[in-house]
Amino acid sequence: MEILATFFNVGLVVATIRTTTPILLVALGGSFTTKAGIFNIGLEGQMLIAAFFAVIGSIWTGSSFGGLLIGVAAALAFALVYAVLVVSFRANEVVVGLALNILAGGMTISLMKAIFGTRGSVVGRGIVGLPKVQLPGARDILGPSYAQLISGYTPLVYVAFLSVPLLVLFYARTRLGLYLRVVGEKPEAAETLGISIARVRYIASLLCGLFAGLAGAHMSLGYITMFTENMSSGRGFMAVAILIFSAGDPLKVLLGCLLFGFADAFSLRLQILNFPSYLILAVPYAVALLALFALSWRTRPKLIRETLETMRNALAEKPQDSGGKLPADNRP
Amino acid sequence: MDIAVQLQGITKRFDAFTANDRIDLSVRRGEIHAIIGENGAGKTTLMNVLFGLLQPDEGTISVNGKPLVVTSPAVAIAEGLGMVHQHFKLVPSLTVADNIFLGMEIRKRGLIDRKAQIEQARTLSRKFGLNVDPAERVAGLSVGIEQRIEILKVLARNARIIILDEPTAVLTPQESRDLFATLRSFVEDGMTVIFISHHLEEVMAVSDTITVLRDGRVVATRGKSELSKRELVRMMVGRDVSFDRRPRSPGSGRAVLSVSDLWARDDRRLPALKAVNLSVSAGEIVGIAGVAGNGQTELAEVLSGLRPASHGSALLHGKELLEHSPAEIRARGLAHVPGDRLARGVDGNATLSANMLMGRQRKQPYSRRGLIDWRAVDRETKALMQRFDIRARGPRDLASSLSGGNIQKVVLAREFTAGGDFLLIDQPTRGVDIGAQEAIHSEIMRQRADDKAILLISTQLDELAALADRILVMFEGRIMGEIDGAAMDEESIGLMMAGIDPVAAAEVQ
Repeated sequence: MEILATFFNVGLVVATIRTTTPILLVALGGSFTTKAGIFNIGLEGQMLIAAFFAVIGSIWTGSSFGGLLIGVAAALAFALVYAVLVVSFRANEVVVGLALNILAGGMTISLMKAIFGTRGSVVGRGIVGLPKVQLPGARDILGPSYAQLISGYTPLVYVAFLSVPLLVLFYARTRLGLYLRVVGEKPEAAETLGISIARVRYIASLLCGLFAGLAGAHMSLGYITMFTENMSSGRGFMAVAILIFSAGDPLKVLLGCLLFGFADAFSLRLQILNFPSYLILAVPYAVALLALFALSWRTRPKLIRETLETMRNALAEKPQDSGGKLPADNRP
Repeated sequence: MDIAVQLQGITKRFDAFTANDRIDLSVRRGEIHAIIGENGAGKTTLMNVLFGLLQPDEGTISVNGKPLVVTSPAVAIAEGLGMVHQHFKLVPSLTVADNIFLGMEIRKRGLIDRKAQIEQARTLSRKFGLNVDPAERVAGLSVGIEQRIEILKVLARNARIIILDEPTAVLTPQESRDLFATLRSFVEDGMTVIFISHHLEEVMAVSDTITVLRDGRVVATRGKSELSKRELVRMMVGRDVSFDRRPRSPGSGRAVLSVSDLWARDDRRLPALKAVNLSVSAGEIVGIAGVAGNGQTELAEVLSGLRPASHGSALLHGKELLEHSPAEIRARGLAHVPGDRLARGVDGNATLSANMLMGRQRKQPYSRRGLIDWRAVDRETKALMQRFDIRARGPRDLASSLSGGNIQKVVLAREFTAGGDFLLIDQPTRGVDIGAQEAIHSEIMRQRADDKAILLISTQLDELAALADRILVMFEGRIMGEIDGAAMDEESIGLMMAGIDPVAAAEVQ
């Protein structure tokens, strides 16, 4: 029981919320492009570049907010390049996304070397982290031990979670949200009605860059104030995976991100039990993979379905007896 | 004379190809003006120019007497034009009302006002007698209703001149008749309808004035009363073509195919064929009529070994063909002209010779000792091209470079000369010019005269009326009934295509 208590407590919930935040932000960003019909695998790169420039910005301006702005601007620049290539020049979205991811990885490493003269990571050097927001009434209402559930996070945590209902409203009731969906689902319809597909996709790309930028800034200025080589560590890709099964639906995105965030937070707890650290680091990804597998089983590709069916038919003794299983009311 | 739309000298080129060549057209207000012509005659191009989707290279447009440069559909819409496209552009996940008001949403405090949209959509649909439920999602609605929504979309934008591009291609005869009644009521209301089609019957049925296009030029514009069907065809094709019932002599009557209690499922695992019984004898053409998607495709796939049946039997020359591979069934006498010629009929990226070779690559004289003799293949291909009148430069042309009609003739040439005596022919003239249609029909009749057993699947009733000895009507995977091809009446076939038993319907009346 004691072991369970050390695992499952308020702290775990708080940690889950923290670890969910960056992936939720970047996945919500990706929801714009997903809805608008762009398969954006450039999330990882946008997040990474934002994390790096947020650190630079906070050193340069001496304020975490300045860092945040510069990080977001960097991600927006990447998103703009992505949109120009994919929307205007109709380049392949996967190729462009991958190229920008690789560029972001290489660029942060070489800039780190050029500016700070180090490899690996940038710590200290006047990086200013984001402030913690203490909600005034929280301690009085919930008491000292539960107040941390809602109070004391960085502003971006609130932004991330509040964005979920806002996005639901955005897609359901606003004109831009509707156009995003239409452009993704039936671009011909949009075109004939005078809705500019290119414009809507640019907007989607830039909104995506904005959120990816926030996610990146949260990583480097949130709970740890440092930049490490490749510190997004696949979160952008995990967001892509979540987007595929959620189809960009904000509530499903939240669900997927919480699962990943929980696995992430839980794996940190597992370190107490002296598991090998590389196994522990793999836990969230393994959980996410399993979840995706379970969810996509129903919509598995036709090829797999047909192969299985053929195998089943080949193994069955009487191939024709499936006719007997037809619903009775379908028979004449 | 009150002219609603006037086009003068419209020319539109695509590289070296001139789709519209100095076209003059004037459409009077309050008429239904049909534009008729074969595929590739330039009908759709012309309408896209009028609607601002394409820019003409030469020529002027005026709408309601006012010269106009239609730079985009928005300009056309502002002038009261509306276009219902051939392929519907509806968003399946949105409601009917959302689709109608897409691009002109009704908003309250910045948010879309769904209630007001549904209310207005309902008012609109009542006013024009187009019955739809505005709150329903579009996904899963029938094409007839989808078309009503497209028309409502146009009406919601206050269109007074409505262009319809091949509106009846997807409708049952009854749905078409409803549509024509609606168009009539529009015209009585003072609106103008421009109607594109290549179906003679419906053009003769609904229009006031007819303009015939051929090879991008206007052949003639006449009042309907001045035209006969025969003249219209001659103008469209450039020569006399007959689609009357083909004369025939009785076949040998030897049973070739007999299908009993056949069941099969579609790709979504839902029953697509339900207790189908049919038989085809030598020297007989059995037609399968029905609106596309009522199990015809699945029937053809099961009989050709491309889809497993779930129950029943299909005997070809008295031997079971179910559970055999396509190659085995073909070896026993099946020749298959698939419905989707580009997907299953030919390989577009292969030469005509390679396409002719497919399925006979192990036979003399095409190959010897396991090596293909391409010279022999080319020679045979050339002979077939001549016999079937396939228009291409040579046997080494890519199949995809041919027109639809010629591609279809390639498929027919290969299948009809493969030696099979059961011909399964699915939609032989879909998207094929009238001239080529006639040639294909003649070839099918020749095969009948050769005592082959022919199962002809078609969604075009005039085709079945011209060719079939017996017509079976399919609806939702069942055979609804059988009609003698010589005594086909469109009314009862139409009812069966809509799932109504004409005998029962008569009893009710």
